[in-house]
Amino acid sequence: MIELNKVSKRFNEALAVNDISLRVEKGSFCALVGTSGCGKSTTLRMINRLIPHSDGEILIDGQPIEQLDPVKLRRRIGYVIQSTGLFPHWSVARNIALVPRLLKWPAEKIDARVEELMALLGLPFDEFVGKYPHQLSGGQAQRVGVARALAADPDILLMDEPFGALDPLTRDKLQEELARLQARLHKTVVFVTHDMDEALKLADHLVVMREGRIVQQGSPLTLLRHPADPFVESLLGGLERGLKQAGLTRVKEHMTSLGPQVPAHSRIPGDFTLRQGLSMMLRDHTERLTVVDASDVPIGELSLRRLIKESQSERGTPRAG
Amino acid sequence: MVIVNAGERHPSPNVVLIALGIVMLCAVWLLGVVSVAPNRIVPGTSYPLVAALGMPGALLVTLLLGAMTALALRPARIHYLAMLLLLVMVLLLMPFGLMVAGHFLIDPALPQARLGLGAAYWTLSFVLLLYLVELRLRLAIKRLPTALLLVAVALAWWLCARLWLDDLALVQEFQARRGAFFSAVGQHVLLVGVAVGSSLLLGLALALAMHRFHRLRKAGFALLNFLQTIPSLALFGLLLAPLAWLGANVAWLGNLGVSGIGNTPALIALIAYSLLPIVRNTFIALQQVRPDTLEAATAMGMRGHQRFWQVRFPLALPVLIEGVRITTVQAVGLTAVAALIGAGGLGTFIFQGLGQAAMDMVLLGALPIVAMALIADAALGALADITRHGGAS
Amino acid sequence: MQARGAVSIPRAWPNWLPAFGFAALLGLALFGMELLEPFFRWVEPDARSVIYARASFVDLLGRHLLVVGAAGAVTVCLGLIAGIAVTRRYGRDFLPLAGQLASIGQTFPPVAVLALAVPALGFGTPAIIVALMLYGLLPILRNTLAGLDGVDPALKEAAIAMGMTPRQRLWRVELPLAAPVILAGVRTSITINIATAALGATVGASNLGDPIIAGIINANMAYVIQGALLIALLALTVDSLFDLLEQQLRHRPTD
Repeated sequence: MIELNKVSKRFNEALAVNDISLRVEKGSFCALVGTSGCGKSTTLRMINRLIPHSDGEILIDGQPIEQLDPVKLRRRIGYVIQSTGLFPHWSVARNIALVPRLLKWPAEKIDARVEELMALLGLPFDEFVGKYPHQLSGGQAQRVGVARALAADPDILLMDEPFGALDPLTRDKLQEELARLQARLHKTVVFVTHDMDEALKLADHLVVMREGRIVQQGSPLTLLRHPADPFVESLLGGLERGLKQAGLTRVKEHMTSLGPQVPAHSRIPGDFTLRQGLSMMLRDHTERLTVVDASDVPIGELSLRRLIKESQSERGTPRAG
Repeated sequence: MVIVNAGERHPSPNVVLIALGIVMLCAVWLLGVVSVAPNRIVPGTSYPLVAALGMPGALLVTLLLGAMTALALRPARIHYLAMLLLLVMVLLLMPFGLMVAGHFLIDPALPQARLGLGAAYWTLSFVLLLYLVELRLRLAIKRLPTALLLVAVALAWWLCARLWLDDLALVQEFQARRGAFFSAVGQHVLLVGVAVGSSLLLGLALALAMHRFHRLRKAGFALLNFLQTIPSLALFGLLLAPLAWLGANVAWLGNLGVSGIGNTPALIALIAYSLLPIVRNTFIALQQVRPDTLEAATAMGMRGHQRFWQVRFPLALPVLIEGVRITTVQAVGLTAVAALIGAGGLGTFIFQGLGQAAMDMVLLGALPIVAMALIADAALGALADITRHGGAS
Repeated sequence: MQARGAVSIPRAWPNWLPAFGFAALLGLALFGMELLEPFFRWVEPDARSVIYARASFVDLLGRHLLVVGAAGAVTVCLGLIAGIAVTRRYGRDFLPLAGQLASIGQTFPPVAVLALAVPALGFGTPAIIVALMLYGLLPILRNTLAGLDGVDPALKEAAIAMGMTPRQRLWRVELPLAAPVILAGVRTSITINIATAALGATVGASNLGDPIIAGIINANMAYVIQGALLIALLALTVDSLFDLLEQQLRHRPTD
């Protein structure tokens, strides 16, 4: 668990981070979102003491970080950055093995761990183990970066715009894999991004920052339904807010049981997002979709009219995402 | 990001200047300040600070250097300025110290007796130079004022030497061969000028050719690197024999002045060495202009020659001048070596002096060479800065 | 070294040929100079002897290497230590001065440094070693500073964030990444020193410069050619060895 209590950071006279308080529960995924220069990266880097904070206190599992040895602290916190920070003179394997080596794990344990992580991140062992960073594509390099951060199995993972430099397709793919990993590993993650879609997709706690302050924090759905001010609303996409919200829920959460009518012609798997469902309705010129399970057996129906009624009646009652 | 603690009232001491101050104090007290020799060949006896300057002089020096060190404990802009003032004072007082020492230590009955600069003087000059560099960085003084300051100090030294420092060995040496000195300086400058000038022309042509014809590139750089690797003495030596043979056996070459000894091998070798820096920098300068910049120029409707003179050339010029700077500084030193094969120039004094064990004569050759290299470096560096627009490289 | 280090990437063999070639020629010149006697006799028909004989060439080469090697060993250590010290937190105050010193110092012509060393230190080999040390220090210092400065700040920060201690960061990240630049500095330093040491023959040291100086003084071109040939081959051999070393370094990708 990470706690920030009234933390500030001054560079000379300028306040980069101004009196922020934040609590990231164990196993939760917290995204810091804001425009560039809003202090989100500074906040992240104060957590592993890359930057000392000026005021307030930062606690990790209840312990103030300045009481911990910075080197030991950093070895138990994974760190991923946009430029990957892979060491160009080391092979993929050596890069991943870095922290376990620093922690003086026995060699066999390190080898096994490297192999395990490469499998976890979808990097075929034989193909990549001896490669050097300059031989990797951007997406592959960032996979190695994530593997390196996870190597010593830290409880906490700090990620500073890790997918910011990737092309959209690769980014989507890595976002999905990160979500999948997180569902399995339950790390405590703090994730910095300026991309609201990315934050909505991954995080279960959103923190919107502006000029060193926290403007609003809460679950993605809370923010989507009740943006605190026009700034948050514009970050959330203004008019497209509804669609973004729809992107956060699954079709099967909104389906109704199959009625007596003739089933709709268009079919949609229940795991798809509501947004995809709406898109399909527009494409197929229909108000109804048949929801199917993984083996293509109809399990329910999605109806546009019902969806609109539902959201009317739900207005004002936040719902857990 | 450098985090500066903005506590203006209590800045932390400048350890660099303190260290330099302590080195200077140690040097003046522990090393010989001057040496006195009965004539130009016999090595002198060295005298410490108190013997050379008397107690009052020693105290004054200690006071000045001590003040400079003490001011560094509380560095603020005003203190830095005070240190600069003290530094200039010390520099200006140095020749007067020699006069005092001459007065104390030289027996007027010995007309051959001469005063040599001691280790302390050399150390002091060198450390003061470092001190000035550090002050310059702290006070953010530009290149030009610093150069002017040094020129003023040099002029003051020159005047003192002309007017009052007849005892100084270096001055005696200079006066004994005034004519030879000036003609050596002239020869040296001429050799450097001709070598750099011709290698500039040749180098530009070669670089353009290498830029145009890819095949030339590898071979050209391989050859120039090869030449640069061969030590100067060896290259001079290797040129001696064939040129001597040509001069003796091919009449018209001999009539042109080609011979093993003298200017011809020196110039050939100097040009060979100078080509690499010039070609390399010209080549880099031509390559570094980004293709999209050139494409933009074409798209705006510039013709070929307009594109060259308005885009390529101005962007390449600073790098080219940088190449000329490296070449010139290198040629100043190599020309000194060329004196060994009879090319003349200031190197003659160095090698004659070494041969006769006359150290003052060595200095008479070496100091102007150093000065020449520093001046060429500063002047061409300034020129490169001027041609650089908006700090672009 | 790495997990199942057996999986190696194909690497091109460095080009050994120039180093071997120059070394072989150097060896030939060292031991086979007598074979060229007819040629030298043709060059200098009137001279009493046409092969330099005051000392054996092997001796001269040994002394030359000793001077350059001793100075080189000291300068590499000192330059590296100084370069590292002024880029650490405790020495950072000295960084600007060191940088300026390294660049101003290189303006001094080596021959002038050698000439100035003699009045200060006297004639002979020790004076030359000191002069070479002073002068050879600068390229190494400058390149060490440039190399360490050139390490991507993001990498340095990544190293901190991974929990490396300052010493681990220096030895495992900064120095390996700066190594090619530092090596280039060492190469420059040694190349200059081989040339400058040859001039030491004029200040009473005995080395491969001797035959050249003796040849010039006695107008014996044969001596000059012998000395020049040996020095040139020595410089080329050493330079091509450095080239090999640089290739080795480059084959571990470091950019």
